[in-house]
Amino acid sequence: MAEILNVKGLSAGYGPLRVLHDLDLVINSGERVGIVGLNGHGKTTLFYAIAGLTGWQRGSIMLDGKQIGRTRSQGPGRYTHRIVRQGLAIMPQGDEIFNGLSVEEHLDSGAFTSESWRTRKERKERVLDIFEPLRKLMKTPVGRLSGGERRMVSIGRGLMTDAKLYLADEPSLGLAPKIGLSVMEALLSIELEDSAMLIAEQNVALLEQRVDRVIGMHAGKLKGEASAASRQSLAL
Amino acid sequence: MDISFILVNAVVVACIYGLVAVAISITWSSLGLINLGYGFVFSFAGFGAYLFDRMVSDSPILVASAGILTGAVGGLIICLLVFIPLHDKPNFTTRGMIATLAISLIGSQALLMHFGPRPKNLPELFGYWQVKLGDVVVTSDKIGVVVCSIVMLAVVVFWMRGSRRGLEIRAMMMNPHAASIVGIGVRSTGFYVMAMTGAMAGLAAVLLSQTYYIGPFSGITPLIKGVSIALLGGLGSVQGAVIAAVILGFTEALTSRFLGGQYVLMTQFLLIITILIIRPRGISGLLDKAREQ
Repeated sequence: MAEILNVKGLSAGYGPLRVLHDLDLVINSGERVGIVGLNGHGKTTLFYAIAGLTGWQRGSIMLDGKQIGRTRSQGPGRYTHRIVRQGLAIMPQGDEIFNGLSVEEHLDSGAFTSESWRTRKERKERVLDIFEPLRKLMKTPVGRLSGGERRMVSIGRGLMTDAKLYLADEPSLGLAPKIGLSVMEALLSIELEDSAMLIAEQNVALLEQRVDRVIGMHAGKLKGEASAASRQSLAL
Repeated sequence: MDISFILVNAVVVACIYGLVAVAISITWSSLGLINLGYGFVFSFAGFGAYLFDRMVSDSPILVASAGILTGAVGGLIICLLVFIPLHDKPNFTTRGMIATLAISLIGSQALLMHFGPRPKNLPELFGYWQVKLGDVVVTSDKIGVVVCSIVMLAVVVFWMRGSRRGLEIRAMMMNPHAASIVGIGVRSTGFYVMAMTGAMAGLAAVLLSQTYYIGPFSGITPLIKGVSIALLGGLGSVQGAVIAAVILGFTEALTSRFLGGQYVLMTQFLLIITILIIRPRGISGLLDKAREQ
């Protein structure tokens, strides 16, 4: 089992605001890890810090043995594309999508390495097998889709390339419970092989029994760690 | 005879200024940069074509490609001098506008220093022949201008729709933040955009030299016209820019025919003001919600 992600002493925030306080986190290959915590406790910021999208950050972040963390004071997003190219797939919270592009173009835009661009046809098929409802919407602009369909598009976009680490930020947020459940199910059915997946979620019930371990997040710190089977020990 | 002559002139003018306007529009919507440096790129490309014609070869296709290439190089210069150092600093829009305007002014003066104020001519790229369309005689240079700019525009639109770089540029037009999440680098995309739009300005310069001449300041008018067309069409919309170019081309041709050439800018700006009062975001800026930050 190789370490996919190794975070040490990570602090990050926006301007004068410090959101993450000296986080440590290790994720091994083949693992599916849930991060549970309330709104505003830093789940999204943790993902953004890994992707280099926070206002400032310091600490070490190793992705598949390579250092991607750095001490930065400004310019969020400047190195994000390089980090992403090293094998990070982000399925962002809410609608980080391109309204005017069709579903198909969207999926294409996720295949950014030249190897995945060449095989994008098969990859699209694979995504469509997971998200069957998108098949007949391929030519529709994403701006016209419903919330659930958009979420499928943004998750599907993340699956278009061979990532080492998948970051899914509240995949069920704002969706009707049934649709949220099906999106989550699709996410959990993806075969990880030697990659790993990190899922942020507010609803513990959705993750219970389904992920390898659950970590609680509170006030910018990771609190308590539990296998999904024993929810009682969560220090929430 | 009169009316059809005006129509032909309007279309020719619309094609040249439309190229510059589409370039400005694409740069703004994808990079967030209002590039006033095209005045310099325009003259730069004109002189590039001129030097190539004098020193290397006078084959029309090669001269035109030399102009397009120098235009692309000019775009890259602006990218290196303005976009790369400034793009993640605060107030990028204002700073970028001022910096590109400075480049436009400094660059034109540098060209003036080096080449002197005497206007230069390019050879007739399209030969000497004419076509009778109904009762109006259209000369070869006008047909050449129209065909070339339509081909260039079609190539650009096709490239933006079909290729991977085009997909990246369009993605960045719609949501720069999400674009970085899917691994699209702002800087590398900036290079593609600036080279492509620079090439468009370069072609426009070569085409305009067929009716006018090449001088250090010959880029200023196309720049002003291009910016006003881009604004009128709704910044960021290619089809809006095309529609606005046609409208302004017709106003220009009609005004110079019925009121006299000195009133052209007046009627144009009156028209722009009226349209912007009615539609503040430009002709087709309504559906375009890109860059609303």
